[in-house]
Formats: sequence, C-alpha cells, structure tokens
Amino acid sequence: MRRAGTVPHSRGMIEVRELTKRYGGTLAVDGLSFRVEPGLVTGFLGPNGAGKSTTMRVILGLDAPTSGEALVGGRRYATLSRPMTKVGALLDANAVHGGRSAYDHLLCLARTNDIGPMRVAEVLELAGLAGVARKEVGGFSLGMKQRLGIAAALLGDPGVLMFDEPVNGLDPDGVRWIRGLMRSLAAEGRTVLLSSHLMSEMQLTADRIVIVGRGRLVADTTVAELTGRYPSLEDAYLALTAGSVEFGAGG
Amino acid sequence: MRGVLSSEWLKLRSVRSTTYTLSAAALTVVLAGVYVYYAGTVWDGRDPAGRAAFRATAPEVGFLPLLQVSLAVLGVLAITPEYATGMIRTSLAAVPRRGVLLLAKAGVVAGVTLTAALAILFATYAVGRLVAGDRAMDFNTGSLGGDLPLLLGSAVSVTVLALIGLGVGTVTRSTVGGVVAVAAVLFVLPIMVTFVPAPWSTRAASLLPADLVRQIAGQELSMRLGEGMLSPVGALAVLVGYGAVAVAAGAAALHRRDA
Repeated sequence: MRRAGTVPHSRGMIEVRELTKRYGGTLAVDGLSFRVEPGLVTGFLGPNGAGKSTTMRVILGLDAPTSGEALVGGRRYATLSRPMTKVGALLDANAVHGGRSAYDHLLCLARTNDIGPMRVAEVLELAGLAGVARKEVGGFSLGMKQRLGIAAALLGDPGVLMFDEPVNGLDPDGVRWIRGLMRSLAAEGRTVLLSSHLMSEMQLTADRIVIVGRGRLVADTTVAELTGRYPSLEDAYLALTAGSVEFGAGG
Repeated sequence: MRGVLSSEWLKLRSVRSTTYTLSAAALTVVLAGVYVYYAGTVWDGRDPAGRAAFRATAPEVGFLPLLQVSLAVLGVLAITPEYATGMIRTSLAAVPRRGVLLLAKAGVVAGVTLTAALAILFATYAVGRLVAGDRAMDFNTGSLGGDLPLLLGSAVSVTVLALIGLGVGTVTRSTVGGVVAVAAVLFVLPIMVTFVPAPWSTRAASLLPADLVRQIAGQELSMRLGEGMLSPVGALAVLVGYGAVAVAAGAAALHRRDA
C-alpha cells in the first residue's frame, strides 16, 4: 500500500515536509521541512519550545499535523504494521507506569508487535538493566529510566531510531554508552535522530545537524561544516539561534 | 489483535491496583457472611410470628454496589494511569491503530470483570445460604434457578460499569473523572430520579443500571416506582448498550485528539 509520490530509495529515511502544527493559538511548528538520512546520526537542536518534541510526536503519529506531513520510509507512521520493528523511539523516559517492573513494561510493548520475550531479555542486557529487570520502574533514577526507554526503542530492532534528550540524567558512564550506541546504530546503516541540549556531546556524536527555532528550520548541515565556520558547535548553535530563543534569561 | 490483547492482559496483571480492586470486590463474600450471621442471630431471637415476618435482603443484592464500584475503578485504572504517566504515547506508538488499543483494553476489562463478578456473586450467594442454614429469612427461600437471572444480570451490570469507567476515563483522561462518572451513575442518578414527577420517575428509573438488573430478573423497580417499562431482554440490551456507547465514546475521543 505505497503512497503516491513515494521515493523508492526513501526506505528508512525520515522526511518532514512543510510541517505545520498549531495548538490552539500557539504555532509549535511552522512550515518545517528536513530529511534524516540512514547511516548517520542527525542531531536535532533548538531552544526550548522550538518544536523538536512536537515534530517527533507528529512523526510517530501521536499528534496530527495541522498541514504538511511527516513520513518514515515514505509512509505515515500510523499506516505501518508492527511499527516497533521499523521505528524505535524514546520521547519521555518518565512515561512509564511506576508500579510495573522493567521486564513487564518491555514485555507489554513487545507483545503488541509480536516480539518475543527473548528479545526483551536481550535489550535489558544491552541497556545494562538485566540486574534490575524485576524491580519496579518507580524506584528507578532518571538515568535508569533513560536506559529503559532506549531498551524499549531497540526492542523491534528497527531501522529508524528517534531519541528525545536521552542523555539527561545519565552518569558519565551512561553518557559515553549512549554516544557509542548512537555511533554504532548509525554505522549499521540505521537512521538516527537525536535531540539534545548538550552541545559538546552532540559535537562528539552527530554527523549532521538540524537546528530549529520558533518552529522553523534554522540550519540543516553537517557538524563538520558548522565547526569549520565557528569555534565549536556550541558557538554555532548560539549564533544561529540567537534570534529565536523564546525563553531566555533577561539582560 | 491477539498480541495487543495479551499485552493489555499483562498490563492489567502487572500492577498492584488490579489486586487491590479485585480484593475490594472479593470483600463482598466476607461481608455477606458477617451480615447473614448477624441477621441469623436476630432471627434466632424472634418468636415464630416474628420469624415468619422476617425479611432480610439477599447479600448479593445488598453488597452489589461494592462489587460494582470496585470493579468499575479497575476499568477506570485500565487507562487513566497511562495518561497520568504519559505511557499512553508509548502505547500508541506501539499500536498506532487507536481503536484496536481501546478495544483490546475493553476486551480484557470485560473478561476480567465478568469472570470476577460471576465468581464473587456465586460465592456470595453460596456463603449467604450456608450461613443462613435452615432459617427462612426470605432471601434464601427461592431456588437457584429462580435467582439465576438476577445473579447473571448483576454480573453484567458490574462489567458494564467497568466499561463505563474505561470509556469515561478515556474521554476525561482522568482517574477522578472516571470514578466520579461511575459514582454518579450508581448513587446520584437514582436519588435524582426520585425527584422527577410520576410517571416520568418510573420511566427514568427504568433506565438506571441497578433498575435494569431488577428488570432483567423480572422484578419491580421498587414499591414506590412499581413495574419498570422494559422486558428482561430489553433491559439487558439497554445495559449492554451503555457499555458499548461508553467504549465507543472513548474510541472517538482517542481517535480525534492528539495523544
């Protein structure tokens, strides 16, 4: 059931086309277009309220676009069968029932996509949570919840991965783990979209950078190009988003 | 759909609130024993004329609201914590067909509450009769065959209230919203209809869950309200219809809104 106008080679690619999302009177995303290519880690940057999370929610079919569209592998997410085997996402590490064990949480998700319990054990091991698999998630630190969210994203061994602020709350060991994981996922040919506010970390992890501000595209380029023009990715980011910071400190 | 059903079954099984609501519902059996034991001591103290006039309400009727409320809360809690935590987004990313997700929840809630309600109602029925022994306390003078429609109708009403809880919980995205809706249907509406002038009070009462159960059993609504306007089959259809409408409303809200 391919949609008309699908690019044959767009398998695994995320395409955001002229996406606009309005919540009541608030314009969260405003005519945003960009592509996320396979085999690379694409950093998704922007000030608070720039529309990053909204864009990710629209890609996952959770929020309906006001206009425009977001496609994964040329299709709308909602039309995918067993979507976890195509797209894995971590949007909010705290979005878990605190009374459920890590294992049960993952098994609940796995069953919906016909993924077996062996794979649940595998991703728990991979995320370093095998020792606390039977513990209730409510007792987890933010860093452990991030690991659980990443484990959930990896459950279906998908070709496309999206992570919204996965590094928050992780210890240095965990930060390094995420960096290596993102690099290796991209090296395996997967599409990786990663949002973060930690510029130094992003400079080490990402190949390409998409910067949004006030819901619009500010930059879509390579890390190398930005660090060539500016002293660091942080300097590049601050210079490029200077006009679109919505919640800045006064003075 | 099978995968989603087994996922929802595990979701329900893997949280403590399910144990709590089922335990609260099962308390009915214990309360029935205590209540009938107490009624029996009163009966024992009466002279033969007093015993002949003795009328005790059947425990499975008197404690039905406890069963209904407990398992309706189970229905509410099948969805609202997902909104409270944000888990609903993870669930909908895993199952983008929203109607399928809610239908699976409804199926699991219906299966669990109907099974639990039947088990608890029959246990309550049996305990009540056992504790009563050979005392004729009115409620224990009928046959199981005669009492069966009331028992089955009561079980269906429990499941319907759980589905109303699930549906309203989905629409309001709030545990409080779902519980208040169920409490309103069970406890507030029956009081309100008594203020409606006759014959509209009887007509309105005929449509309330508790009175639908009485009509399923072929009983009158109450001394004051008299006979209901529905046949047993009609009453059952209206009762089941409430559950279907509530789930459909939840599905429509889930479908229309951003998660």
